[in-house]
Parts: sequence; structure tokens; C-alpha cells
Amino acid sequence: MKHFLFLHLQSARQALHKILRQPFGSLLNLLMLSVALALPLSLYVGINSLQGWLGKLTASPQISLFMETSAEEADIAAVDRTLRGHPRVARYHFVSKAQALADLEKRNALTGLAEGLEGNPLPDAFIVEPRDAEPQALEMLQKELSGLPMVESAQFDADWAKRLYSLLELGRHLTWLLAGVLGVALVLITHNTIRMQILARREEIEVSKLIGATDSFIRRPFLYHAVWQAVLATLIAWGLTEWLVAIAGPAVSQFAQLYNEHVDLHGLRPAELLGVMAVSALLAMLGARLAADHQLRQIESS
Amino acid sequence: MIQFDQVTKRYPGGIDALKNLSFTIESGEMAFLAGHSGAGKSTLLKLIAGIERATSGRVMVNGHNLSRLRRSQLPYVRQHIGLVFQDHKILFDRNVFDNTVLPLDIIGFDRREATRRVRAALDKVGLGGKERVMPIRLSGGEQQRLCIARAVVHRPSILLADEPSANLDRAYALDIMELFKSFHQVGVTVVISAHDETLMEDYGRRIIRLREGQFAT
Repeated sequence: MKHFLFLHLQSARQALHKILRQPFGSLLNLLMLSVALALPLSLYVGINSLQGWLGKLTASPQISLFMETSAEEADIAAVDRTLRGHPRVARYHFVSKAQALADLEKRNALTGLAEGLEGNPLPDAFIVEPRDAEPQALEMLQKELSGLPMVESAQFDADWAKRLYSLLELGRHLTWLLAGVLGVALVLITHNTIRMQILARREEIEVSKLIGATDSFIRRPFLYHAVWQAVLATLIAWGLTEWLVAIAGPAVSQFAQLYNEHVDLHGLRPAELLGVMAVSALLAMLGARLAADHQLRQIESS
Repeated sequence: MIQFDQVTKRYPGGIDALKNLSFTIESGEMAFLAGHSGAGKSTLLKLIAGIERATSGRVMVNGHNLSRLRRSQLPYVRQHIGLVFQDHKILFDRNVFDNTVLPLDIIGFDRREATRRVRAALDKVGLGGKERVMPIRLSGGEQQRLCIARAVVHRPSILLADEPSANLDRAYALDIMELFKSFHQVGVTVVISAHDETLMEDYGRRIIRLREGQFAT
């Protein structure tokens, strides 16, 4: 067991030395792999950041039920009774016209707004959270509630949110597609790198085989080379993604603030980074293994 | 023990390198293979080392039937064989030490023991103190000695040498032969191919003479 670990440690060390001994060639390879990894990672980071914000928007769709300004206590009480017993209403709360005005003043720093107006122009309203968030059910409930007596309108403008949600869904699918395609690219790039290395060390491999080296002994340093490449490329890709977040983050936040929203682009979490590293290493090992097996067969038959 | 039982080796194109050969080389024996170029000496050594497979017949080495052994098992048989090549097959991008330690790395010796064995093997072949020298700086004879050191460093039970004295002057060739004799004296089975029979006759060992893949009469 001790020897087994020693051999692995030795192969890992030799592979790392080999990468460091050829800094220029290694760097070019690493950059190629890093860019391939950075593309889906950046998309993932973007989608993930927006997903949190969108979650807040769409997690509990709401219907705003505005009463007519002439509605009286009894009308409000009637609507309240209807909502309380409604099977498709999960919860609701009442926002009086006075409270709405106070909120408006507070949010927009317009203290004394009502004093400049002839009375409070805002209506009483109910904020209704439906039990079913499915778009069709929401629309039916909206229509039904807008028909209640003394209800001016029932607003549920979810179209833009749905469009954004669809866009993010598309982005998510695109991330996976890109990750898949570039994962294959990673395998192919590693395959080619290792193939070239094996060709360059063909003589050494032939001699090693003649004096009793097993295929796994010959393959091991190449697999470690691929793993190091993948790990280093992931770290560079992570750096690129963080840089992108640092560059684009303020602009995105600023844009969101225009809509009174707070959106923060955040980079990969440590667990996500480790996950990406592990998947990259596995894909690189796959590429290296395929190349090594193919080349070993060729050497064997020559 | 090495045992050939009606072994034929046919290369693509229908060329019979060996034809129906049967013989035995006992453990600890020293034997020479003689014959002109193309007689089948190298093929015979390759069959013993498992580098080539017999077209028909049975090749037994240390109790393993190489004709039936799985490809993945061959390296473990080779780890008990030392090979000295006519063209040395030295790795010129590694120094003398790294060339010699290769079989020990393959078998899995720890570094301290490997270093001790490499030094002993290099001392034995007269390359002591040249561990850090690159092979390109060695003479032809020294390169052959390096090849021998690599072949014996893991203390194989069988030592195969394909024309080890080719391209060497007689004095050097005799030195090399003395080395093989010393390995044989410690119980190693030694099989050496050569075409200079005068070199073999001095040792009074069995000579297997080949001509066109068959025993020469």
C-alpha cells in the first residue's frame, strides 16, 4: 500500500514538474482549456445570480385588488369575506389607502406629498397570494376577483416576469449545452495533448514495456498530467470568472437599481469550484486514458 | 527454466524465422546462440522475453506458458528477465542513474533500496561514480555496460543478451563476456546470442547453433 501511494505520488510530482518545465507550451494548453471552461462557468454564474433575484419575483405571485375610491367599509368587508373563504386564495392582506400613501412617501422620500394633493388619490387594496401559481389558474382567479363588487381592477402583470423566467430557463439550458459541448472539447484537447506527449516519449515507453512495465505504470504519469492540467485550467477559469464578476457586477447592480431592485453577481462558491474541478479532472482523465490506451495498443502492435 | 516445444515463428509474408524448434535451457545454465544474421537468434530471444509470440508450439519460461499467457500478464514475466539489447535501448534524456533505476521503479522498489542496488549494479559493470553522467558522454562499450547494469539491477532469474559484443573490440567484448559469466556464477540463467563463435568457445558452454530457423547440424 505504501509503495502504491509512493508510485502515485511520484507520478503526480513528475507530471507537475513536466508542466512547470515547459511553461510556455503548458500555458498555451492551460489557457485553451481555461477559456473552454470559463464560458459555461460565466454563464452559470450569471444565471445563478439572476435566479436568486427572479426567485423573489416569481416565488409567490401576487394579485393586487384595487377597490374603487368610492368604496366604503361595507364594500371592503364584503370583499374581505369573499377572499377569506375562497378556495384558491392562499393568503391575503389589506392595504388601506392611508398606508399605501405612507409607503409611497417613504419609498420615494416624498414627505408631505398628501399635503400638496387634494386628499389621498390612492385606493384601498387587497394583496392576494393565490394557492396555485400556474399561469392559467392565476389568470382565471384574476378575472374572477376583478368582477367582485366595488373592485376597480385586479392586476397581475406577470408577463414580463414570465418572459424573464423563460429567458433564464433558456440561459440555463444553454449553460448545460455549452458545458456539455465544452466538456467534450476538454476531453478532445486532453486526448490530443496526451497523444502528442506519448508520441514524444514513445522510445521511453517502448523500453519500459520491454523491461516489464505494465500498462497502468505507463499510463499513470499521463493521467496525472491530465489531472494537473484540468485542476490548473479550472483555477484559471475561476480567476477569469471572478474577474468578469468584478467587472460586470457593479454595472448589473446599477442597472437593477434603476428598477428599485437589488441584484448582486456572485462568483462560484467553494463547493461549486471543487465540483467543477472534480468534473474537469474526470473528463481530462477520460481523454488521457483514451489517448494512452490507443497509443499503447499501437506501440504494442508495431 | 526455458523450454521450447516444437516452436515455429512465422512472420507476416510467410517467412519462417523459427521452424519446429524444441530444446530446454535449465535454470542456472549459461548457453550461447550462434548463427549468421537471419538465422533466428533474435527471434528466439524475443520469444523467451515474450516480445513475440510463437505461431505454433509452446514456449515455457519460469513455468509460464508464454504462448497462452494473457497480454496483461506478460509484464510480470518480463520483470524476472534481464534484457541486453544490441542497440542498447538507452534513454538519452536520462542520466546513468535514471536509466539504471527504471526496472526497479517498474517493480516498485523504495528509493533507498533502489539507490543501493543501482550503485551496486553500476559498480559491478565498472560505471561506479558515473551516476549523473548523461549517456551521450559514454563510449560505446560504456553504453553497453549501462545496458547490462539496467538488465541486472533487479536481479532477474534469466538474462538474455542479443549480440552484446557486436560493435565492440575483442578486449571489450571479452570484458562483457566475463560480466555475463559472473552473473551466471551467482545462479542466473544466461542466454547470449552472437555470431563470433570464437568468443563462445573460450567459455566451454553449450552452443545452440541456428541456421534458417532450425538447428544447424
